[in-house]
Amino acid sequence: MGRTPDKRQIFCTRCDTPLEVSCNARSTLCPGCHQNVRTEDEELNTYCARREFFTEGTVTVGKKGVLIAEVRVQTLIVQGEVKGSVRARHSIHVTKTGRVFGDIRTPVFVMESGAQLIGKCEFGPGLAPRAVDPCAARA
Amino acid sequence: MADASKPEFTTILASDCSFKGEMTFEGTMKVDGKFEGKITTKGKLGVGKGAHLCAEAIVGQASIEGAFKGNVVASERIELAASASVMADLRAPKLVVAEGATFVGNVHVSPDALKGVEKSEFVVPIPATPLKK
Repeated sequence: MGRTPDKRQIFCTRCDTPLEVSCNARSTLCPGCHQNVRTEDEELNTYCARREFFTEGTVTVGKKGVLIAEVRVQTLIVQGEVKGSVRARHSIHVTKTGRVFGDIRTPVFVMESGAQLIGKCEFGPGLAPRAVDPCAARA
Repeated sequence: MADASKPEFTTILASDCSFKGEMTFEGTMKVDGKFEGKITTKGKLGVGKGAHLCAEAIVGQASIEGAFKGNVVASERIELAASASVMADLRAPKLVVAEGATFVGNVHVSPDALKGVEKSEFVVPIPATPLKK
């Protein structure tokens, strides 16, 4: 008998609709906004400039990585440079080599000594994601 | 490791104290009570877990564990502990944030963070006048 893969709950990066996806899923379609939601983890070690960088996974910007975009992720680890507004649903970790230039919003923020940060910040347990009624999101 | 015989803070504003006004000190000070006003020092300011500060602080170092509202300009570093709850604008060359801290405000943390700040805002030590014989 086939074993059903483990599921995890994520939120749509655009409309915040709660979604349940397989742990192996790389993307899904949001029933709220009918947009594609990426769920895979990524590691950047190069220059990357985009209009938006949305994924419901963990994004690691390596020491040589430069990410210029509006960033909406689940977890962000910054060892290199990030320019643009950042919204992380779980946490942002800026290591000692990390540089963030832009506004940030996340429930959990960790910053090591030596890291650079310029922007408007909002972090704290009060910013943890709230479950949104998918029917209300669709309306 | 910290020397047990030497206290970390030379001055302590205890939890039952409430202070309103302008404060200047040389060494280190910990606020466990309530403070409203301006703090100027080249030394270290500690904000205890139960403390409530509404202040404009120009300091050497700041270590915040309690509630802080206002502005902090540090010439060396600012540390936000997990229990810290801060609504302020921060400016310092170094910032350390522990997991669990709450913060709302503008942050400018870079090696040249203090370039835009007027030097007069910092306490300039008065040169000692030589004794006349």
